Amino acid sequence: MSQAITAAHNSAIDALHTAYLAALDQGDMAAWAATFALAPDTRYFCTSAENDRRGLPLALMYDDCRGRIDDRVSFVTKVWAGTYQPYRTRHFIQRLSMDAAGTNQYRVTSGFTIMMTPEGGATTVLTSGEYRDLIEIQGDGDKFRAVFRERRAVYDADVLPRYIVFPF
Amino acid sequence: MSTHSTHVYTGTYTGDAPRVWPAKVNQIPKEVFGDEALFEEELKKIFYGDTWHAVGHAAEIPNVGDFKTFDLGRVPLLIARGKDNQVRVFFNSCTHRGNQLETSVSGNRKEFECPYHRWLFSLDGTLAACPGSKEFAPDFKQEHFGLVEVKTDQYLGLILVTMGKNTPPLKEWLGESALPTLNALLGGDGRLKLLGYQKVRYASNWKGYNDNDGYHAPLLHTGFRLLNWQGGKGFQRMTPNGHVLFEAELKPATGNGFLKDPSLIEFKGSNPERGSVITQLFPMTVMTKHMDVINLRFAIARSHEVTEVHYAYFAHEDDSEELVQHRIRQSSNLLGACGMVSMEDAAIFQRIHIGNQTPGFAEFQKGVTSLTEIPTDVKQNDETGNLPRWEHYRKVMGFKREGEQ
Repeated sequence: MSQAITAAHNSAIDALHTAYLAALDQGDMAAWAATFALAPDTRYFCTSAENDRRGLPLALMYDDCRGRIDDRVSFVTKVWAGTYQPYRTRHFIQRLSMDAAGTNQYRVTSGFTIMMTPEGGATTVLTSGEYRDLIEIQGDGDKFRAVFRERRAVYDADVLPRYIVFPF
Repeated sequence: MSTHSTHVYTGTYTGDAPRVWPAKVNQIPKEVFGDEALFEEELKKIFYGDTWHAVGHAAEIPNVGDFKTFDLGRVPLLIARGKDNQVRVFFNSCTHRGNQLETSVSGNRKEFECPYHRWLFSLDGTLAACPGSKEFAPDFKQEHFGLVEVKTDQYLGLILVTMGKNTPPLKEWLGESALPTLNALLGGDGRLKLLGYQKVRYASNWKGYNDNDGYHAPLLHTGFRLLNWQGGKGFQRMTPNGHVLFEAELKPATGNGFLKDPSLIEFKGSNPERGSVITQLFPMTVMTKHMDVINLRFAIARSHEVTEVHYAYFAHEDDSEELVQHRIRQSSNLLGACGMVSMEDAAIFQRIHIGNQTPGFAEFQKGVTSLTEIPTDVKQNDETGNLPRWEHYRKVMGFKREGEQ
């Protein structure tokens, strides 16, 4: 690794993870989208470990440009509102590895678990999995933040226990 | 509080499936969605009966040694491509003591080995080796212990199986009138390439999952309205044994600026007059080709209240790289378990299952012109297209209509 990971970058990446989980656990889709870079080629994918293992490109969510990340916010808040049965989530993550990937960019992998509670119901495991991220540090001096240039959520469930509304 | 309720339930709700079906053909007794004992009868009469069930497409296992496992009701199947390139379907069970032979959902093997006593089966099911056979029972003959095959046939690569003794030949069961629509759905010639899966369970009876109609599309799907996406000309056709076929022209969506990335709803298909094609095979296989999405949905009735659906998506073998990429993007985001348009269907499957635990009937209205005759002629957006399937179900299950001898 050629580039040292500074404590400040490390903290910024922790803060990004926290912001991501908080956004989804509060069902705040705008805050979810705000954790991604504004660059047009910013991407979010959510796919099964089975597709991933077999090299099959299809995903459960395939947002291969920044515009579609914003469109996903519209799906949840405008298209599907009032249709789906509400559920809350709790995300837990554990960082597994982090490597510099060029100037102010890092490849980070984390394990995740998502608990799910349907309104009126009990808490169960939705799925677990692995985030594979390309994270960028933006800004300089005292003012900088980390954003996702690409987040790939690879979930473990061969069969998901219910239909999915929110990203992982 | 309103005192104007016109419907007050005064009966005794048992929750049991009715043994007499209502005389009015547009009423379905809601008890059939929640009855556990009825599910056992359905397994015997439908899923293990004289009906074909779609369990896969040959494009899912393109190479020699490729296999996938799937369940027909509770019966585990092993679907494998042999050295002779033949696709065979076996019970996924060692012929020795019945041990589940293959545990993976898919993969590639040179042969199948049971770990219990190391019985080894070739890709064509032949028992190739079985240690200790000199001390086996006096009547043991190795050639009699190959994997047990399930009767199978293919239509343009679509793999169907039946465990019934009197199942009609596949083409006859599909019916002449279903074939053109099925052909269009399977890319014309069935030369497909697997793009991947979305697999999900619905807390719904399999009949509720299957009872989706054409009527709901412009009403439920907000996405269609936001995109100013009007349906074009088309038809809905039913067969006497419970299949339903839809074809509709697809006018390009104008979008209304709703999507930041309208490439999601671009249509690159060559024939917009057949832009939307749906084939629904009795009992529970739904397949759609909508825009550039080719989606075969292999479903498993797990119990009276759990339905598992494996959405498999395909490209055509002749597609350009650009078209494949477009199909991946559209397939992932539009009509699957989490698609912009069809997530709403997923929500309805579960809500209808919960709502149908109440007494009374599911009432069909749109397109009903007779209370005594099963409709044979319906419009594209009627819900009556489902009634011939219900009638077929009623007959297979042996329910008599009220007043019928």
